Amino acid sequence: MKTTEFIEIAADLDNPYLQKWKAEGKKVVGYTCSYLPDEILHAVDLLPYRLRGINTTSTMIGDTYFGPFICSFPKCVLQLAGEGQYSFLDGAVITPGCDSMRRLDECWRKTGEDYPNSAPDFFHYFGVPHKIVDYSLDWFVDEIRDLINAVEKHFKVKLEEDRLRASITLYNNSRKLTAKLDQLRIQENTILSGSDALAVILAGTALPRETYNMLLEDFLNDVEGSKKESNGKKKIMLLGSVDDSIELMQTIEGERAVIVADNLCFGPRQNVNFVDESEDPIPALAKRYLQQSDCPRMFGLYKERLETVKNRVTEAKIDGVILQNIRFCDLHGSENGLLERDLEAAGIPCLKLEREYGPMVETGRIKMRLDAFMERLDK
Amino acid sequence: MIITGGCDVGSLTSKGVLIRDNRVIGSEIIKSKVKPQNSADAVMSAVLEKCGLGRDDVHYWIGTGYGRDKIDFVGETLSEIACHGKGAKWLMPKARTVIDIGGQDAKTFKIDENGKVERFITNDKCASGTGRFLEVMARVLGLEMEEMGRLSAQAEFPITFAASCTVWAQADAIKYLNSGYNIEDIAAGINNAMANRVAVLVSTIKAEKEICMTGGVAKNAGVVNALEKLIGQKIRRIRRQDPQLAGAIGAALYAGEKLKQEKPI
Repeated sequence: MKTTEFIEIAADLDNPYLQKWKAEGKKVVGYTCSYLPDEILHAVDLLPYRLRGINTTSTMIGDTYFGPFICSFPKCVLQLAGEGQYSFLDGAVITPGCDSMRRLDECWRKTGEDYPNSAPDFFHYFGVPHKIVDYSLDWFVDEIRDLINAVEKHFKVKLEEDRLRASITLYNNSRKLTAKLDQLRIQENTILSGSDALAVILAGTALPRETYNMLLEDFLNDVEGSKKESNGKKKIMLLGSVDDSIELMQTIEGERAVIVADNLCFGPRQNVNFVDESEDPIPALAKRYLQQSDCPRMFGLYKERLETVKNRVTEAKIDGVILQNIRFCDLHGSENGLLERDLEAAGIPCLKLEREYGPMVETGRIKMRLDAFMERLDK
Repeated sequence: MIITGGCDVGSLTSKGVLIRDNRVIGSEIIKSKVKPQNSADAVMSAVLEKCGLGRDDVHYWIGTGYGRDKIDFVGETLSEIACHGKGAKWLMPKARTVIDIGGQDAKTFKIDENGKVERFITNDKCASGTGRFLEVMARVLGLEMEEMGRLSAQAEFPITFAASCTVWAQADAIKYLNSGYNIEDIAAGINNAMANRVAVLVSTIKAEKEICMTGGVAKNAGVVNALEKLIGQKIRRIRRQDPQLAGAIGAALYAGEKLKQEKPI
């Protein structure tokens, strides 16, 4: 598969593979956060679909349920739901990635009452602890079991252990392929722009995993030997709030930069840790998903996150780090301040960038900051 | 004799400057038009006319400001942060920290001994803390921008605005006007609100002496005085030229460096 095809899939909510899945009578369950184990849904023949808020032209519906001083990401997701654009969903699982996303649970339920067919029949709240301790791991295992029970009851399916083990293996294979993609990005003369890499990863959130693994493997075989993207360009690492905007990545990269690494929740970071296949599957999934330290939703792990970024900066020979956050994103807004302080102290140039989720409406303002940052890196 | 030009097309005003022998030989400030190219053409024509020069007499132009990418007569473009840094250094050689409040941005940056930007931070939330905020508020009070500073110096009991969000502050200003508060006290409250927003940026970057201020808001004594109090440091007033011209001056200086085959940044 070529990059352009991944871009086409990533640019839309719907795609031909999804249509085929639905035409075969199979079900799709949307979810909001990278802390949800896809393997659970996959093992009972449901397509796990990561919810996005792309291509919104207004937040008229979202504004009814959310206040004005709140992250625009859940608002855009709700807008699309209210417009009926998520009518292909058979279920939705909401996770407390942050308070704004947690609010999506009750806001979407209410929208479902006001706008016909805007909320799927299956609606489940999946709690995720904010700390990693023994009892929170037990709680998370309970949450996974509750999700399994709810799914089994609603969709009249039975989760078999061997099917779950097979799903874990499949997703681990996917992680190996994404790790390869990630390595291609950080090589001396990278052959992949950050926006293309994002498109490849985004496509994976909306395709059946078997298909995606096949397409990704083909892509990785074909892409070797492509023209170099990084010749003389500044190497950038992108951090911060949820970002599935190819346009934002392209604006950042422009003619002078290439994003060779990121630590975004739609980025490759979800694919670096494997589920231990030798353990009992449910506790193994709980460990793998809860023990992700990359999101600032997790308490007490800032030092680990800082070290991860610093190591990546060294490994990928990063020239500068861009710390973006969606307006009113408290988690990344505050963490970006800490990261800026500590990375600058370590001699790593940083740019903080605040933006809205949704269509790019502030290109001039953002471009001025980016230009000034690139000029600083030129010195 | 080499003449270079700087054209700074901002969101509110456009500025043009011509430099010869390290001297500003002509400058102009106009209200920006809808299309950046029209603003650039108009300000360039005005400054050329003032100097009795033709377009071909200028050896190299550099464009900056929000509309920089739309100007067809410039040789290259640079960000306004780079140009304000260079311009500030020329306007005040000892400057190491620059506060630039433009139409839709407030920026604070540190510069080195050559006027090159070492580090910068910008406002992000919205229009509060920008020239647009002051413009909107001046319109509410029925004042010219320049009058805001003069009037606020006469305030006895400056109003404290609960919100520096442009929309909420506008509603508050109307409420105070209708309640019969002195316009001087309201003007001072607006300037203080503005200074509060910008002071956060100045503190964050850990400003070093000398501090100077560029951009149109530098001419509002009310904001500058309030800002000095908040940051507890002196802000040096720029006298050599209009501080609003700093970006265009920096662009013209970089154009000169370019001609000398030096790397502009």
